[in-house]
Amino acid sequence: MSLKTKRKIVLIVMLVMLSLFTLIYIYPVFLMFMNSFKPFGEVVSDPIALPKKPTTENFIYVANKIHYLQLFMNNVLITAIGILGIVFFSSLAAYILDRRKNDYTKLIYGIIITPMLIPFQTIMITLLKAMNIIHLDQSKVGLGIQYWGFGIPMATFIFFNFMKTIPKEIDESAEIDGASTWKTYCAIIFPLIKPVCFTVIVLDVMWIWNDFLLPLLMVNSSTKTKTLVLAAYTFVGQMNTKWQYAMASMTLTVLPSILIFILLQKYIVEGVVAGAVKG
Amino acid sequence: MRTTNRRRRKENAENVLFTLPALLLVIIMMYVPFIMSGYYSLTEWNGISKTPVFIGLANFHKLFSNSSIFAGTILFTIRYTLLFMIGSNVIALILAVALTKKFSAANVFRGLFFIPYIMSLTIVGFIWKFIFTKGFEKLFGLTGMGFLNYSWLGDPHLAFYSIVLVGIWQALGFYIVLYIAGLQAIPQDVLEAAVVDGAGPVQKFFRVTLPLLGPSITTCIFMSLTNGLKVFDIILALTKGGPGTSTYSTTMQIYQEAFTNNNYGLGSAEAILYFIFVLVTTQLVLRLMKKLEVNL
Repeated sequence: MSLKTKRKIVLIVMLVMLSLFTLIYIYPVFLMFMNSFKPFGEVVSDPIALPKKPTTENFIYVANKIHYLQLFMNNVLITAIGILGIVFFSSLAAYILDRRKNDYTKLIYGIIITPMLIPFQTIMITLLKAMNIIHLDQSKVGLGIQYWGFGIPMATFIFFNFMKTIPKEIDESAEIDGASTWKTYCAIIFPLIKPVCFTVIVLDVMWIWNDFLLPLLMVNSSTKTKTLVLAAYTFVGQMNTKWQYAMASMTLTVLPSILIFILLQKYIVEGVVAGAVKG
Repeated sequence: MRTTNRRRRKENAENVLFTLPALLLVIIMMYVPFIMSGYYSLTEWNGISKTPVFIGLANFHKLFSNSSIFAGTILFTIRYTLLFMIGSNVIALILAVALTKKFSAANVFRGLFFIPYIMSLTIVGFIWKFIFTKGFEKLFGLTGMGFLNYSWLGDPHLAFYSIVLVGIWQALGFYIVLYIAGLQAIPQDVLEAAVVDGAGPVQKFFRVTLPLLGPSITTCIFMSLTNGLKVFDIILALTKGGPGTSTYSTTMQIYQEAFTNNNYGLGSAEAILYFIFVLVTTQLVLRLMKKLEVNL
């Protein structure tokens, strides 16, 4: 047997093994989808096979029961508020912190990025009290605003590192032409940092959309303020034996993320890689 | 002279104004609660009574005594993090090497491995709870393979491995894409030169690819470290810390101490110790990684 055919055989064997592994790997996700289409009883009696008589009844029941549309809009609102604030305040700060280097800005930069070292669980107990005092708890908008504080350190760090790569001459010439600092930021800097904005948005959307602990502490008391994941958590807890409803609620919860991922796969993966390397 | 002075004053005002929102938000959301945690760790406070009672270091004494399960939760977190780091990095690296080979389904496969990573950890925990109980039961009925009949969530020893397995399963896609990015950044001519010099595939991987992958490995090790130390959602969904308290991570312990047992003071003390533990661990690993990278 020649070396070439031997290599080819090795490659084919490897591909077959990889395919098998991938199938087993993704099967749990497939299993969740499949079981949400099964009527009561079939989920438990035959959890791993395809549904015999697929039904959408579970979805209708669950969507009504958990107020799916309301939850979905809550998630959109909280995530949108969070992202807008994080991107705006962090990029604005990073712009000044990089361009006006002196003792003051160095100190501010240190204060802003150091909390990256504080794990959320260290502050969660007292955060609840602090947010209660300034009335940011039990509110969707309040929760969105809280994400500003938690997202800004990392985002400022990423924006700051990217600002270094933009030549100072670009904004200096704009200021010589009489543009104010604010105008330079809006017209010159912000368009230039768009690629890294995208990285920050991808990372923070994935984080806020799926976050569990902070919403659990802050907005769990009413359906009006709950997030998708929170509602699924409570619902699955209640549906201990009714797995068909539990599965449907889980499918409904992850479906938006999976659809977005299928549409934007390339960009999302790029954003995640860039974020990890910079962060 | 006067105009430069005025200009400088204007610039200084801008420096303060433009960074103030970010600064204030970080102070309110992170520094204030952090300092409060420091204070409450020295008190006895049930969250309901208005005034916490100052008790000095009594909470810390309690946590270091034998009756406390806190040390056990730190040990659990260390064991989990270690196994999670090794498992996710080794498996991700192997898969990344396979997925950078040229074949038509490579992109689809990469996408499939990434899907669990975009899903909520809580949901992931629930899916696996179903698999460990109902799924394995059915598979055991079909195949009769003994390991499927074990109590994967009910046995303290096995529950630990179940949690690690689910943790790795969820995060694997993230480390795969990082390693793929690293592998693709390796110049082809270096690899070709190694082949010309007579290196076999195994030798090529360990002598050329792996050293050149240094920065990616550092990133992945560090990310898996910080993610491992934070484990919470998966445990809450899978075992709620049980059976008994055998799968309590430190994060879980802090949560339960404060919000189930209403011991806010003791919980704050645990939170402070957890902070020190995370800080020391990450700095040590970071330093170690830097040393290793230099040696490569």
